[in-house]
Order: sequence, then structure tokens, then C-alpha cells
Amino acid sequence: MSVAFKSAVDDAVLDELRAITGDNDRVLPNLTSRVNRTRVPAPFPVHRWSEFMPDVAVLPVSAEEVSEVVKLANRLRIPVVPRAGGTGLADGAVPLRGGICVDVKLMNKIREIDLTDRTVTVGPGINMLKLNEELRPHGVFYPDDPASYPCSLVGGRIGTGGWSLLGARFGHTRDLVISMQVVLPTGEIVEIAEGGGRKLRKSSTGLTLKQLFTGHQGTLGITTEATLELVPRPEVEFAAFFAFDDYMKAYRTTGALTKSGLATLAGVVLFDEWKLRYLRRDDEAYIPQPGWVRAVVAVAMYGTRAEVEPASRRVMELGRSEGGKYLGDEISEGDWASRHDRYATPLHGRSRDGQAVPMSWHCEDAALNYSVLPQVREEWHAIVERYIDRYGIFDDWGMFAYTSGPYKPWADYLVEIDVGIWEQRLDDESWAGWVACKREIAEVALKYGGSITACHGATREGDAELVPSEMGSAWEVVKRIKRALDPNNVMNPGKQMLDEAYE
Amino acid sequence: MSIFRLGDQRPPEPRRINEDVVERFEHVYEIDPAKMRTFPQQELPAWDTERIVAARWDHLDWMHAHFADAVLSAGLGSETMPEAEKPAHSAAPSPRDEAEATE
Repeated sequence: MSVAFKSAVDDAVLDELRAITGDNDRVLPNLTSRVNRTRVPAPFPVHRWSEFMPDVAVLPVSAEEVSEVVKLANRLRIPVVPRAGGTGLADGAVPLRGGICVDVKLMNKIREIDLTDRTVTVGPGINMLKLNEELRPHGVFYPDDPASYPCSLVGGRIGTGGWSLLGARFGHTRDLVISMQVVLPTGEIVEIAEGGGRKLRKSSTGLTLKQLFTGHQGTLGITTEATLELVPRPEVEFAAFFAFDDYMKAYRTTGALTKSGLATLAGVVLFDEWKLRYLRRDDEAYIPQPGWVRAVVAVAMYGTRAEVEPASRRVMELGRSEGGKYLGDEISEGDWASRHDRYATPLHGRSRDGQAVPMSWHCEDAALNYSVLPQVREEWHAIVERYIDRYGIFDDWGMFAYTSGPYKPWADYLVEIDVGIWEQRLDDESWAGWVACKREIAEVALKYGGSITACHGATREGDAELVPSEMGSAWEVVKRIKRALDPNNVMNPGKQMLDEAYE
Repeated sequence: MSIFRLGDQRPPEPRRINEDVVERFEHVYEIDPAKMRTFPQQELPAWDTERIVAARWDHLDWMHAHFADAVLSAGLGSETMPEAEKPAHSAAPSPRDEAEATE
């Protein structure tokens, strides 16, 4: 397959890129390297793969190399798309206009471990699981724990403004990054922090830019180094799963747990009835469960034994306060452990006639308040059901609601509906149908005062069109910032409707 | 049973659990083969199934140990299936063996 370059990348540009890196093996215009840096795990129109390929992949090893690549891109008006693990679930790393994919995986070193001031400084290409293996002998860990924990990278976590399964206890990516070095869209290398200190968590000097540079989906620059929080390695973990015959009992139990005031609470997860039906297909923990089990609440705690042990007794009381039945130690502990690696989930669903078929996984991640969870659940499932009936290549895998407020289990939730998509059967009509389904789901989140995305980013069709609506009066400010920092619109162009900044 | 004899590695006949699921090995569930016409089921020798199941338990134990020094258990079995037998899982001593009951 031969695909013409979509941007201004030509042989002369390739020569300049090789001169920047000094290493031909780190400038990759070959087809395989570009094919493999196109999609991410989110549902993808596989029948149109070639439309989304970058023109070349570059693997820099320093901020200076990244800077030179970005300056070249500005000079020649070539799109730049940063890519870390490529494990995102909202197409942030999918090139929309070809260009240069800046793949940071080789920037994966630990630069400093500071046990006195409790920080670790790393390159963006390091994986959190590997980082924590190195930190373990020191009795500390970096508690950023997404579903992609074994395969996502720190740079991508910063780019997406990631969510952590343990966020109610330890915070999310945004809270765990203390400062970072960023290559701006015009190529300057800058230090971004709370104020001026690399290891300060709180400052009011100047303008606090750190929030702006976490969660920009690769549209405001490329992180080339990050200084991260170190927390004490937990002495103990406690997990408990409770089964309910009624969703509303589970829902009220979730509320009771999250408002309990227990400081070691790391996460609470509410499984709805559709999720239980899905789990009864394939999950050995739920297949043998009696038919009355229709909803589940999972709760986990981390900390010192002195704190967690008494708190766990309170959790057991609260879990049973609305009639919840404990699922037992083995299921509680095993299911909780499996949640650190949900990308290992076998990706198949059911066709309308019940056949098992390979499906990719759509993971919705709206941010919603507790008060609207039951209503959103009903409307979302009704939407997905309509599209299943019409197109026959989707499957409803049920919903989770996770605690999402950093350090605040009582706050809002990451609300997930999982939809299977039979990608091999996609064509233009069914892809357009999927996009419409996605948009309806996002519109419901906005209708109930929520956000399209708690962490994945609103960077794909079906979500992106709604970004101006969600941002509301702040949209003008967002556009001005984008245009000020990226005057030539080279940094991940086309994402989140930010092209409007140039109209 | 010998891992070297093909006949000893043929999986047992399935036992139906529900309309979606069958079981050949204790507590190891499979999609009903009748629902695997579009996506054919792979034939696995028994040792391979046991290896995969054991590896899954190793993975879960590894995850526990990766995130905390010990697992605190409620010390209770299932309240939804109180008559259920303990699953056939004979793990090597793990951090959970050191946990204290909280009840």
C-alpha cells in the first residue's frame, strides 16, 4: 500500500529530521511505523485507516530534539502529533492531517529520585508500572493508576489529564504532577510549575500555568520531563464488593460510602444491571452468582494498617446498610486486583443472534454528579439499544460509575458505559451511526450538567463538536490561548474544535 | 495423566452452566461453543488451559503485591452463595496469607 504524504513532509524534510536526530533509525517514514502510530484503542473506522496515518514518525531522545522538530514544523507548516503510549481512549494521538508523529517512548529515563522532598523526575516515555518497580525499594510509589496502568506512559497521562482508580485517595495525574518541562507549539522549551519552584506543590506567584498544560490533548505542546509526587507505599490494601438485588439500593450504598469521611478510601465503583448481565457472560466471579444479584458496589482502601483496619469495619457496615451482601474475600480481592489492567479484557461481544464476535471497546467517561446517575443510566442504555437495533454491530456492556473527585470521594463520578463495536463490519454508514450514538450519549451528559469527558479528552468525532457548547462562555478564552501559543496551528490540529481559533 | 500423551490432554466434555456458558474444568467457564460459529473456538490442550488459569492467579497476586505490602481481608466467604465450595486455586503463600481478619 502506498500512501502519498498528506502534509508538507517530503524527502527534504526527512533529511532535516535525520539531521536533527543524527540517527536515521529514529526517523521512520516506512509504512509499518506509520500504520502502527495511527489508531489508539478507541473504536476506529478501520476501513479508512490510511486517512489517519502520520507521514513520518520521529523518536526524539531530548527536549532539544523535540524543540528542533517543532521549529521545523512551524517553518514549513507541518502538523505535529505527540504520541506517548498510544493507549488513550479518545483519539488524542490520532493524526487528523498527517504530519510528524513525535513519539516520546525513548524518553523513558528516571532522572532523579528525591526521597527528602518526595519527588521523582522522569522522561515522558516511562510507564507507571515500570516506574513503581524502581521506586519500591525506597518505600514510595507514584499512585497514578488508570485502567491502562501496565501500558500507558507518563507523557500521555499528562496530555490527557488522566484519571486514577485510586484518585479519591491520592489524586489524579493533574494533582500528582508537580512541574514539567514543555516544548511549546513554537518550539521554545519552558518550565511549567505551580510557581517558580520545580518541587513546589502550592504557589501563588505569577499565573499558575500547570493546570493548563495537563489535559490539553497534545494541543499546547509536548512534555519532555515531569517532576512527580511520591507517596508512602501503602502497608495494606482492603477491598470489599457487595451485591444488591436492586440498583437503587446499590446507588444509595455508594453515596453512603463516599460520604463516610473515611480518609483512606481510594475508590468506590457502582456496577449497574446491564454490567452484571454482561459479566454473567464471561466473568468467572459473576457467572455462578444467583439471579437476584443485579448491581454491585466495590470499594477499596489503601494506607497504614492502623488506619485501614478500623476503617474496613465501617466499610463492611456501610456496604450492608441497604441490604448489600458481601461477595466474599476471593471475589473482592481478585476483582479489585484485575482493575489495574483492564486493557487485558478479552474484547468480544455478542451479535444480535447471540454469536460471540470480536469487538473493540468504547469506554465513555462522562463526569457527572451523584444526583443524576440513575437518570443518565436509563437514557444512555436506551440510546445504545436504538443503535444496536438499527445497525446490529454494537453491544451494550453495561455501566460503571467511579469516584472521580481528587481526594474527595463524595464529589463527582466518572461514568462509563462500555459499548462493543464490531469493527470488521464497519462501513461509512455504520461509522456515521456510531458517531451519532456517541454524540447523543455526550449530549445527555451535558443536559444533566456534566462534562463530556472526565479524563479521555473530547478529541474525536461525536465529542469534539460539543466542546464549544460545554465550554460555554470560556470558549473564547480557550481559543485565544490556543492561538497565542500556537500561531501556526501545528500542534495536533483539528482536535477539540480548536481550529475555530483561526477563523 | 501425562502431558506427553495427546489423549490425556483432550479437554473433558462440557457441562452447561447457563444459556451462554459451559464448563469443562472446575470453575473455568467458556462461551457455549454453539455461540462460537463466527469466531471459532481455539482448541487448547488441557495443560494450556491450566497454565492460563494459573497465570491469571499469578497476575492477580502480583498486582496485590505491587500496590501494597499486604492485603487485609474481611475474613469472610460469599454471602451470596454461602453453600459454594472454595474454588480450586492452590496458590503459593502470598501476602494475603499474612492478612488478619477484621471480623
